[in-house]
Amino acid sequence: MTQRPISYAVIRGQVVESDLVEFGGRGGDITFLAPDPHKIVDRLPLGSPSKMEDLYDLSFEQILDFLEELGAHCDVRKNDLLLEAREMSYATAPTTKPIMDVFFDHLPAMFDRDRVRRMCEFSVGVPYLEGWVPRDINGSRVSIRAYGARSLHVVAGNGPVIGALSILRGAVTRSDTLIKVPSNDPFTTGAIARTMCQFAPDHPITKHVAVAYWRGGDEAFEQKLYQPHNIEKIIAWGGFAGVKHVTKYIQPGLELISLDPKRSASVVGAEALETPEQLEETASRIAVDVATGNQTACVSCRMCYVLCGTDEDGIETLKRLGQLVYEAMLRLPQDISTKPKRYDPGLKTQVDALRLNEDWYTVIGGQEGEGAVIVSHTADRVDFYEYLADRTVNLIPVDTVDEVLAVVDAYTQTIGIFPETLREELRHKMALHGGQRFVQLGYAFNGPGLVGPQDGIEPLRRMCKWIISEEPLPTQRKPLWECAEGEAAMVS
Amino acid sequence: MASMAQTSQAGTTSARSVEEQARAWMDDPHAYFGYSTTRLHSVPRAQMEAVQLAAMNLRLAERRGQIAVLAKLADAQDIDRVDTLDAMAPLLLPHDIYKSYPISLLAKQRFDQIAKWLDRLTVHDVTQVDTDGCASIDDWLMRIQAATPLDVATSSGSSGTCSFYPKSKRDYLISMTGLRIDLLQRFGVEPTDADLHEKIHVVSPGYRDGHATSGRGHHYTKQVFCGDDESFLHCAFNFKISSDLMWLAGRLRAAAAAGDASRIDVPPALLARRAEWEAVQKDMPAQQAAFIQQVTAQLKGERVAAMGLTNMFYTVAKKGLADGIIADFAPGSVVMGGGGGKGVALAEDAEAVICQFFGVDRMLSAYGMTEINCHSVLCEHDRYHVPPMVTPYLLDIDSGQPLPRSGVQTGRYAFFDMTHQSAWGGLITGDMATIDWDTPCPCGRTSYGLEKQIGRVSDFLGGEDKISCAATPSAQAEAMDYLTAIEA
Repeated sequence: MTQRPISYAVIRGQVVESDLVEFGGRGGDITFLAPDPHKIVDRLPLGSPSKMEDLYDLSFEQILDFLEELGAHCDVRKNDLLLEAREMSYATAPTTKPIMDVFFDHLPAMFDRDRVRRMCEFSVGVPYLEGWVPRDINGSRVSIRAYGARSLHVVAGNGPVIGALSILRGAVTRSDTLIKVPSNDPFTTGAIARTMCQFAPDHPITKHVAVAYWRGGDEAFEQKLYQPHNIEKIIAWGGFAGVKHVTKYIQPGLELISLDPKRSASVVGAEALETPEQLEETASRIAVDVATGNQTACVSCRMCYVLCGTDEDGIETLKRLGQLVYEAMLRLPQDISTKPKRYDPGLKTQVDALRLNEDWYTVIGGQEGEGAVIVSHTADRVDFYEYLADRTVNLIPVDTVDEVLAVVDAYTQTIGIFPETLREELRHKMALHGGQRFVQLGYAFNGPGLVGPQDGIEPLRRMCKWIISEEPLPTQRKPLWECAEGEAAMVS
Repeated sequence: MASMAQTSQAGTTSARSVEEQARAWMDDPHAYFGYSTTRLHSVPRAQMEAVQLAAMNLRLAERRGQIAVLAKLADAQDIDRVDTLDAMAPLLLPHDIYKSYPISLLAKQRFDQIAKWLDRLTVHDVTQVDTDGCASIDDWLMRIQAATPLDVATSSGSSGTCSFYPKSKRDYLISMTGLRIDLLQRFGVEPTDADLHEKIHVVSPGYRDGHATSGRGHHYTKQVFCGDDESFLHCAFNFKISSDLMWLAGRLRAAAAAGDASRIDVPPALLARRAEWEAVQKDMPAQQAAFIQQVTAQLKGERVAAMGLTNMFYTVAKKGLADGIIADFAPGSVVMGGGGGKGVALAEDAEAVICQFFGVDRMLSAYGMTEINCHSVLCEHDRYHVPPMVTPYLLDIDSGQPLPRSGVQTGRYAFFDMTHQSAWGGLITGDMATIDWDTPCPCGRTSYGLEKQIGRVSDFLGGEDKISCAATPSAQAEAMDYLTAIEA
């Protein structure tokens, strides 16, 4: 392996590895090389939206054919490019090798033909992607079709699948897909795009994918690229500062689809704590929602509210639950969760501070950087709740569900709830407060995948331009040019 | 000049046992060094470290029975005494400890409970202070001020927290005395009578009073610099900045950042004061303008010590220069900034503008924080010299273990300050610092020096362009301009 790995740019079927400059290296990061963004900025965007016409020579089934083939080529055991990307990503990724291996192992399955078709049918409706869908309404025949757009994806690096997902979403919506890769995953997406160049360099989908790294906040570069004549939509994942930064380029003709920073939580009802068996099961459910993938995802539970009450008995129950969560977490298999790659030192000093504060908090574990359970003795979450990571969860006792509602806000994505009856009760109120996804506790990572709504919006639908074509139904609308005064009806 | 006795006891060190020296440095350090910056920074390193080690063991033996949190930590680490300076590292407290109480106690005004929490962090008994009917932080802290040797220091953060540091009045006096010595004297020159005793005008771009050190410190600078003469203290804002308002401001920002400013569980009595806060804020430009006039006209030809946060000085200097006003102080006057490089962005021309306005060649600078008594003042060679009563540590960012005390090292800054009269003097900060342990500073001081570049650990860990969809702290991104300035 070279000393400084390369984040290749891939532009519409061509791999670019010239004019390499160095990036990264701050705060213990590795340094890597990437083509000088300023040298390629003019080649990244698709000059005219009309150049997307070739995508419409493909049928939806042909798109699935391509994706199926791409999936087969993404088998890391047979693909040297991906193998190399995986090796290099071990250093940049926030997670450990066993977890990264699972991400890579599951890449081909993402492109599974039936899975992709089901996702499109569920989220958009294949007929809308494939052609005009007519319906009659108010005396007119209205046909609707979903068109692709020239889209820039600013992807997050906490899981290597997001680049692959962006390519997939771009293909099925017949979009032109430009991906800005992050410094914590600068290799994977490029490797997938290079794979496309190898097996189908002239395929229209390959011709509509461009991947590059530039430093987020490089204003000279961004000012040039982020223009309505280059890009129609920006799909921004990620951190507050990053998304906020992108907003300054938003103007008429350039739309932002913001997958904002999120955190997730869970709520446990008193009924789930009654017997030792229930306590054990609840703990196991909490543990997987917290620790899967080492708590790097927005889906990962970071705070767990427990309706055990704040009296002495309640706190004792919560401490027992905390111990069981800790033990369950350590029992998880390596491909689900491991000891974190590096326990955040800032978080550690805060956890250690609470450890000395036994009147108000019980800290279980966390001495060896393996993760920790922080049991609050009052209905307070820890004040550093925004920093909870590396398998660190805060269990918080509450007397009423109202206390939980108070901490659900627009940053709250997934809420795992147990038992089921409590979910029925809570989801409506929590949705009003800002919560976006409700799951059975223990299933935050074990659901249908990224289908349908995400973060309270529908990204796949919003990636499309929704075009409408109208005609009057025979005999149902009198032509305006034949109307006498007072006869015209134009109801909005 | 209560704290500046004439007696000089340095120079006879060989006659004293190391433990006796340690006792003297711990109890009244500046008297021991004859209030001389030269003597303070001329202790041979071997002697300095021997005294520091002796002081650590004296403090540990004494404080263990007095500070519950220290006892718990020492028990857990099974440490009774230390044989090296590094051996003390496990007993340094993370700075977060001073805000580690459940925040709902504050919202519910359970000052009796917060007192119980604070009591575990200080030698003084705060649980005896009556909290009946106590309706605000200010109220509670003033009761503590009146009834105990403490003058508790607060600071509030943008995530809606409020820390309480159990500083004693004596700690404040030690702090200000050290500043007077290191700011007014030149290294290598014996202090003049004026350096030691003269009433000096103090100019501050901040608040006259408060419970944050930036406000409350004035009460003590007045004693140490101004001969307790009120007319020698000149502050830009002549009011007490309320800790309740500061906390409320932090909470409002945090709530707004979360997208729902209506959901703040602050007592109505405090919410009602929002108008008061806004009124005060509105009046600030006028007060600031008057302050600039006063400082430049009234203090012409006077010896002045101007001390405050650099960015607040910058605001004042810029405004003064824009109005064509320049200060004209007597020789021997000093301007000391601070608070730069701690998450507060300073304008590039800050120092030049400040020097021009105040008519000084060079802006002095001190590195310190609420939780330390003995500040480190920047020398002519850009090192912050750590007074010998303070043992500096650089900790490995990942492991938290002390880095070798040799070569050039960069790490998380921690220290043990033996002079603390109330809290445990060992602290792990959120700052990143660099020390060249081996090369003596060309300025001639023997004390250890921190390189001028001091950053935040959180900035260092931030990486360059990492994107994660998991939420990261948000409130910081929103400007907290003047709030940040007073809290740094």
